[in-house]
Amino acid sequence: MTPENTIRTAPHGILVETTSAPASTADGRQDPRPPEPTSPNTATPPTPTPRPRRLPSPIRPSAFGTQDAMILIMAAVSSLCLVWVVFYQLTSLSGGLGFLVCWYIGFVALTWIATAQVIERQVATDRAVAVVVVSAAMLIVAIVVFIVAWVAYKAIPSIHWGSLFTKDQKSFVVTDPNALDHVGVVHAVIGTLEQVLVAVLIGVPFAIATAVYLNEVKGWGVKTVRTVVTAMSGTPSVVAGIFIYSMLILTHVLTYSGFAASLALVVILLPSVTRVVEEVLRVVPSGLREASLALGAPEWRTVWSVVLPTARSGVVTAVLLGIARIVGETAPLLFTAFGSQVVNWRGYFNHDQGALPLVIFSDVRQAQPVLINLAFQAAFVLMSIVLVLFVLARIFSRPKGKNGKRMKPGPNDDDLMARLFVPIPIEQNEENR
Amino acid sequence: MTTTLSSTSPADADHPTPFTGTPELGQPGQVDAHDVCAWFGGRLVLETVDLVMEKSKVTALIGPSGCGKSTFLRIINRMHEVVPGAQLAGSVKLDGVDIYGPGQRAMETRRHIGMVFQKPNPFPAMTIAENVLAGLKFSRVSPADKDDLIEESLTKGGLWNEVKDRLGELGGALSGGQQQRLCIARSLAVKPRVLLMDEPCSALDPTSTLRIEQTIKEIASEVTVVIVTHNMQQAQRVSDYCAFFLAEENQPGRVIEAGKTGTIFGSPTDQRTFDYVNGQFG
Amino acid sequence: MTIDLKPSPARADRDVPAPLTLTRDYSTPDRIYRAGVRISGGGVFLLLVVIGIFLAWSGYPAFQQAGWKFFTRSGFQTLGAHPTFGVLASIVGTVEVAFVAMIVGAPVAIATALFLSEYAPLKTRRSLIAMIDLAAAIPSIIFGLWAVFELQPNVVGFSTWLSHHLAFIPFFKVVSPPLNASIFIAGLVVGIMIVPIVASICREVFSLAPAGEREAALALGASRWQMIRTVVLPFGRGGMVGAVMLGLGRALEETIAVSIILGGSFTVTAHILQKGGSTISQLIAVNFGSGGTLGLHDLLLCGFVLFLLTLVINLAASAIVNRSRSGAGVDL
Repeated sequence: MTPENTIRTAPHGILVETTSAPASTADGRQDPRPPEPTSPNTATPPTPTPRPRRLPSPIRPSAFGTQDAMILIMAAVSSLCLVWVVFYQLTSLSGGLGFLVCWYIGFVALTWIATAQVIERQVATDRAVAVVVVSAAMLIVAIVVFIVAWVAYKAIPSIHWGSLFTKDQKSFVVTDPNALDHVGVVHAVIGTLEQVLVAVLIGVPFAIATAVYLNEVKGWGVKTVRTVVTAMSGTPSVVAGIFIYSMLILTHVLTYSGFAASLALVVILLPSVTRVVEEVLRVVPSGLREASLALGAPEWRTVWSVVLPTARSGVVTAVLLGIARIVGETAPLLFTAFGSQVVNWRGYFNHDQGALPLVIFSDVRQAQPVLINLAFQAAFVLMSIVLVLFVLARIFSRPKGKNGKRMKPGPNDDDLMARLFVPIPIEQNEENR
Repeated sequence: MTTTLSSTSPADADHPTPFTGTPELGQPGQVDAHDVCAWFGGRLVLETVDLVMEKSKVTALIGPSGCGKSTFLRIINRMHEVVPGAQLAGSVKLDGVDIYGPGQRAMETRRHIGMVFQKPNPFPAMTIAENVLAGLKFSRVSPADKDDLIEESLTKGGLWNEVKDRLGELGGALSGGQQQRLCIARSLAVKPRVLLMDEPCSALDPTSTLRIEQTIKEIASEVTVVIVTHNMQQAQRVSDYCAFFLAEENQPGRVIEAGKTGTIFGSPTDQRTFDYVNGQFG
Repeated sequence: MTIDLKPSPARADRDVPAPLTLTRDYSTPDRIYRAGVRISGGGVFLLLVVIGIFLAWSGYPAFQQAGWKFFTRSGFQTLGAHPTFGVLASIVGTVEVAFVAMIVGAPVAIATALFLSEYAPLKTRRSLIAMIDLAAAIPSIIFGLWAVFELQPNVVGFSTWLSHHLAFIPFFKVVSPPLNASIFIAGLVVGIMIVPIVASICREVFSLAPAGEREAALALGASRWQMIRTVVLPFGRGGMVGAVMLGLGRALEETIAVSIILGGSFTVTAHILQKGGSTISQLIAVNFGSGGTLGLHDLLLCGFVLFLLTLVINLAASAIVNRSRSGAGVDL
């Protein structure tokens, strides 16, 4: 193997050999570059040429350049002008929302037209769709952020921290200028805590047992029960309330009470937590079960000591989100807890009881500014509880990895809250995941 | 003849070349890759590849798995950037125009440089005829005579005789080998200048493989073909040129040797090439 | 040792051994465990049956009183010698609210799902999904508060604008102002509330679209939108339909946000921009406790109707989604 041979074929591959071929482009681009030793592909040279470690810096191919940004800005501005002229000057209308909608339609249309003129129609459609899709998501994010901030903004300035968590509404006097000093939502907080706690204590064991039944026990009933769970998780919350009412209160088994409210909340909690827990149990590798059974462990031990602990973080997530859901339910409480102005944590089983959602619902419809303020404060407390539960659930939703770091979640771990509201049967085969 | 791929490059921004229907489409093109590097999630997988894929010839990229052949192939028609976390560097020129240059749009490039994948992927909800015309639909071109184009493309793809009576059937109803030929016909209908094939026969039976190899030889006069293959015999049978990729232990992939197929297989200069083409490893 | 390569004799020449019957002998704790989870599963089944039975049973007196006219009359006049009541206006109102909610919510939800599955950069995707999922966590009473205090004042202007310029569409005609507390506003806020739910399912269905066909479309020179239209949307069509139906089920049942907003009236109206209108759940929530015993039975009957309505829609929708998720919906 001669050195000449090495140089001839090695550094530039095909390039060298084809230089003499008649090239129709005839631009001379095919001249071999100087044979600098760029590659270590010669196995025989006496001194291996050191590899140059300087790599070219990565390029970021972007379909979106300055020109494209300019088109968007111009479309936005010209739509603003156009709509301003038409909307306010020609049709003399008012209303911020209508203006915004018109501006947005104009913006998308002008973006399409401008891009079609400057670039081409294929790109224009692509761009317009991208604008619509991005703005839809941004709209929802903006609404969520706005609502959370708005509740805090409306509530915090009028909060009297000294009374909010220590007083109830019984000493409310309309004429009192310092009425907010004498009222609070402690009755509602206590009521909500009692109702939700008991609902969780009843509902979660049932939900987990049902999920275990659906996932671990094979048999003729599983499919039916799964369909029923699916159907039930779409049960209207108002129906859950009047069901408990008609079954227990109308028949004088119970009176309006916190306990009745808890039962109504169980009707809502049970199917949704069951479905999410079932989904969590499903991803427990079947190898673990087989390993445990192969060691001679009985089935219940396998479930109790292997399956459930493995799925613990997912189960906790499901429960936390389930609580976040029922804590804000209002409709079922109207027919069960009924609402009350005073603290009666002892009257949980036999007396009307307040709850945070009920305070909001009843106080906000009063014409008293003080009560409306109180409604906002209750909303703020409720929102805070939900947010804390939501964040906790998100922290728990990432199972711990080997080194204690939380692992990346699966594809569907991200929007479990939404899944609590809709019936989706979980019969999907795992290969799709 | 200067061929511009770009219609919006700063030089001719005032006179954007109407891209579709230009005579360049259908003319075989030459791909010139220089200093190409690729990363996945920050890990270098391909290092400074210099390679020229000669016009109207078949170039085979060979090498063991994981050496960056497919990555390199996907860089040539800008499919690499579709993968999340993928980065690249260097330049790839199609007849002298850098496809990664400023103002170049990926979809335009992909129209000029078609691609056939390892797994046949016709659109299952479209008929055979619609599949063939899909690429044209994307670029909003309606050919003068659709039926002619369908026949021509399917003939080139070696599928016409088998499906001429059932063009209205769904693309998913064909067998695996037929589906792959449909994909080739679909790519050819756009009249690309270069056709990239990523192990097109690895999921197929020997008969279908043979048909596709015939097809490759037939279309080579009209379109430059770059094919990734694990099959040494296939590389020898179909290619004019060959490039041997290798990723040594903990090293990114690079081109070890490239040249005429006869040379690579007959008298390679590098020991590793010799070992690989003679089945010593890989 | 020689290996006998002769084929084994054909089946007919040979006695096939009878399959072993393996009896699983459960220990007592296992029996208890299995019985326990069975009872739990059966309990859920029973619960659904009991809900249906009790609502039907306690609503029956009202049905006895009104007969089938319950579905063709409107009103909540349950006291006195000649009670007239019916659910027609509420059913129409429910459908109208849900319709507005779907018109507003479904496109936004599908676009949001597309953004999350196709457009959002990988780094921010998770936090964006969390933000949108938070919208599902916000209690509906707070959505209602927000709608009354913030959304409504802004929408009234828009409603006025619609009623001025699109009055030729019967829905947008206004006979008697004011324009607050309308079905349109209620539908708007319910539409926002269903977005995270519909988007969540659509996102999952979209992300199941096969990668091979996505790449095929892109490699043929498709833009991102063309790829979505050719591959993702046809693949996810069944799932999208199902997701929108699930959103519809949610929109039909929403109680509190609607109750806070709606003016409440018992006339069947197509004029969704003006004050008034009711939905089934709003009727139950607002009139509970007034109207005596018959009124109570009337409301329970309304609840039974709502229960059946959502049950049917939800079961159908989840069947559609499931079919689409398993890939069978591709050849629709």
